[in-house]
Amino acid sequence: MDRRAGGGETIMATSEVVHAHAGPQGFIRKYIFSLDHKVIGIQYFFLALTAVWVGMFLSLLMRIHLIWPQVNLPIVGHIQPETYLSLLTMHGTIMVFFVLTTAPQGGFGNYFLPIQIGAPDMAFPVLNMLSFWTTFVAFVVMLAAFFVTGGAPLHGWTGYPPLSAVQSTGPGEGLGADLWITSIAIFCAASLMGALNFITTTLDLRAKGMTLMRMPLTVWSWFITAILGLLAFGVLLSAGILLLMDRNLGTSFFVPVIVVNGQLMGHKGGSPLLWQHLFWFFGHPEVYIAILPGMGVTSQILSTFARKPIFGYRAMVYAMLGIGFLGFMVWGHHMFMSGMSPYSAFAFSLLTMAIGVPSAIKTFNWLGTLYKGRIRFYTPMLFAVGFVSLFVSGGLSGPFLAQPTLDIPLHDTYFVVGHFHLIMGVAAIFGIFAATYYWFPKMFGRMMNEGLGKAHFWLTFIGTYAIFMPMHYLGMAGHPRRYSQLTEVAYLHNLIPLQTFMTYAAFITIGAQFIFVINLFWSMLKGPKAADNPWDATTVEWTTATPPPHDNFGGQTPVIHNGPYEYGVPGAARDFVMQTDPAVGAAH
Amino acid sequence: MHDVSAVHGESKGTYLWVWGALLLLTAVEVVLAYKQVLQPVRMLEVLLVLSVVKAGLITMYFMHLKSEIPRMRWLLTISVTGCFALMWIFFFRDADRILTLGVK
Amino acid sequence: MATVQHAVHDTHGAFEPSLFGTYSKKVGMWLFLASDSLTFGALLFAYSYGRISNPAWPTPFGKESIANATIMTACLLSSSLTMVLAVMAANRGDKPWVRNWLLATMFFGAAFTVLHAQEWTRLIADKMTPSGNPWSAVPLFGGTFFTLTGMHMLHVTIGVIYLGVIALRKKFLPVLLVLWALGFFLTPADSVFHYGIHVLLVGAVISAIVLFLKPKDYDANDVEVSGLYWHFVDLVWMFIFPLVYLMSTKV
Ligand code: HEM
Ligand SMILES: [Cu+2]
Repeated sequence: MDRRAGGGETIMATSEVVHAHAGPQGFIRKYIFSLDHKVIGIQYFFLALTAVWVGMFLSLLMRIHLIWPQVNLPIVGHIQPETYLSLLTMHGTIMVFFVLTTAPQGGFGNYFLPIQIGAPDMAFPVLNMLSFWTTFVAFVVMLAAFFVTGGAPLHGWTGYPPLSAVQSTGPGEGLGADLWITSIAIFCAASLMGALNFITTTLDLRAKGMTLMRMPLTVWSWFITAILGLLAFGVLLSAGILLLMDRNLGTSFFVPVIVVNGQLMGHKGGSPLLWQHLFWFFGHPEVYIAILPGMGVTSQILSTFARKPIFGYRAMVYAMLGIGFLGFMVWGHHMFMSGMSPYSAFAFSLLTMAIGVPSAIKTFNWLGTLYKGRIRFYTPMLFAVGFVSLFVSGGLSGPFLAQPTLDIPLHDTYFVVGHFHLIMGVAAIFGIFAATYYWFPKMFGRMMNEGLGKAHFWLTFIGTYAIFMPMHYLGMAGHPRRYSQLTEVAYLHNLIPLQTFMTYAAFITIGAQFIFVINLFWSMLKGPKAADNPWDATTVEWTTATPPPHDNFGGQTPVIHNGPYEYGVPGAARDFVMQTDPAVGAAH
Repeated sequence: MHDVSAVHGESKGTYLWVWGALLLLTAVEVVLAYKQVLQPVRMLEVLLVLSVVKAGLITMYFMHLKSEIPRMRWLLTISVTGCFALMWIFFFRDADRILTLGVK
Repeated sequence: MATVQHAVHDTHGAFEPSLFGTYSKKVGMWLFLASDSLTFGALLFAYSYGRISNPAWPTPFGKESIANATIMTACLLSSSLTMVLAVMAANRGDKPWVRNWLLATMFFGAAFTVLHAQEWTRLIADKMTPSGNPWSAVPLFGGTFFTLTGMHMLHVTIGVIYLGVIALRKKFLPVLLVLWALGFFLTPADSVFHYGIHVLLVGAVISAIVLFLKPKDYDANDVEVSGLYWHFVDLVWMFIFPLVYLMSTKV
């Protein structure tokens, strides 16, 4: 039974896909409803860029409110404690979903996964376009929550019931919360479309010679991220549907008998724990969805700029697979304080610690890659090294939180906020910055300014540490998470100077982001023209024109002869061998 | 166009058999349930096993998963059933807890 | 030489063989189904969770309900048989029989939906709602029932529309619109299906967009892929039927 016949089928299916969008005509087909994965990638990138500014603005308002609760701001006015919770919810949601999930995967993954494997486009270009526009709709619906009566919801990015499941629990829990859940559900659908597209593309459209073990680690990371997304978002979708039913149809999936504002509600028999299980079954894979692409980009950049092959390529691949696999078995470490069975807590604790193993493998392999390298400290390299630094500092607090005995006092304090901001928030953002500085020349045909880039890096690097490191201390001192009345509680008074310092650090860090945006737009218009391979890198995207033509390779499909990180190859003419160069002896 | 039926190696006869088996299993389920032959938990287990058998027949024969390459077959089934197994292990433990510990 | 078609046609071996050994659309559909089974799975787990923590779960389904649900199950199973026969016909290149078998599949699917809608209507008339029911003090009974079966009914309806597009292409649009209008006028104004029927209208609009923007002759692969979706919907019912109905038969 010859299943290889399927190979022919694939290509026929591909050609049909390609026919459908041969030449883009007109502005709308070319830039708005484009089917070209590169345009879609850039659309995702700018969506995330918009979202990150919204999210940053909200965080600034929160920091201001914490220190000066009475201040009257222009436009925003006087922030109430409830409003603080709305800001917090929208900040977290926008950052997690519309920045950390969107930019690394939807943006750079979309643009570079097909090129790096030598494909002319994604397997399903129409689905790809739909996926972007669905994400866009989700973003608009999310923002709409600000403008309805009652404002944005209060329940945090985790949407815990009963707060989120009953309309009368607070100001934002009316229409605002419905919009929030709807937006998340739409986002789930969009992510599913994206995920199955990424997976199919990687399975089916690798150019001749691009075997699995020759795929750049970026491709591996996008591929694994897509698998996590495929399995995780479907569950969140269900949870969201059930939550909407609880809120609007009076069902009781997540609501036990409950009294709200002195009034007995009609609900009965449900369990908030069920929501936590469903949410975190998605939620923990989600944090890896945010970070894995950053790991891929960091590996790629460290190897390129240290002029050395990545240390332990296979170990890196297996570590990422291991992280993805274990990532599905540890969600309960977010629930040690929820009333979950202590036996489960024990299992989750052990499994969580186990994730430290592949994480450490990755870290040591990054360091091994740097060791004795001939390092070129361009901006992308700075951000990649910054990623490693943040991953380690944020990751070290993980094993502490993973133990129920330690987590009980630390949970829901600023300690957790410090942990996840360093490792997920800022590390993933550093991955995005590294990717931007690294691939900007290919995407926009010009170089970014190095001086501005370095200034941006140092201010951001020091600034984020100054904001988030002290949070561990605040947490241990007992400062609760999601709590706005810092100045009203006696036992928190001693922490005010530290908090003030953090707010000033936030001002400076956010200010530094203007350098980035100026650099970005200025370089797009005025930067010096980029060569096809400005970083002397080896992967396939650097073999094609800058910016790449519509079908990526001008009608040719590249043939791959080498592994992805052949730097410093003895006997080669240059100090690197590109993946498409004719084979180099015994290397791989 | 390749000849899919040749690839799948199945005929009308096979499909009719599978269909018959599915109907038969359904009938067994209904009789078991309607006659309350077994105690609730035991019955749930039996019904679920029968359902899994039915699902297996549908995926393997009607959806032709049997004739896909093993890599595809195993990766798909293991990832989905693995997720279910995890939910099974960790969710229900807490549903019980509410009964035994919590306020009803 | 500048277009991608060339690249793809000229160099048949330009790509590594698919890791799943089959064409992309099929892989895509299987991946979608994997994720959709988790969506349904999560709903079924939510149901089971609620059921375990509420021991006084009602068991109201009498003879008629079980008989009705059994007939519905038989409808779906038979529709799977006709579907697989449609795929067989497509592989022989036998277009008329593809259409006939697909129409038979749609007929069984529609019969399932109609029977199920009647069942809903009966239950609603008995005062069962998403938040309460006359048989017990467990509000989750109605909630889980309507969520699970509603989500499934939606999938069946989408499936019938999907198959209709494959079988009849543009000719299916008027059929769909007529069904929508009939459904709208024949259901009483206070029935959920008076509004639910609008799914058909939405389906008609989306089908029209697909059919006009990308007109094509659907080939054997398209039939096979639509079949995968259809069988999956059948498969899900194999779990809903025993869990929701059989575990709640009247003693
Ligand atoms: C060795 C690695 C890691 C371990 C052992 C670990 C452990 C933990 C634990 C136990 C918690 C729960 C704390 C609590 O709520 O009381 C937690 C929270 C969190 N972790 Fe990690 N973690 C690790 C890596 C990561 C990574 C790589 C990311 C993101 C990319 C991440 C993102 C988060 C987030 C977002 C939260 C907080 C979620 C919330 O409650 O809102 N963690 N981590
Ligand atoms: Cu986690």
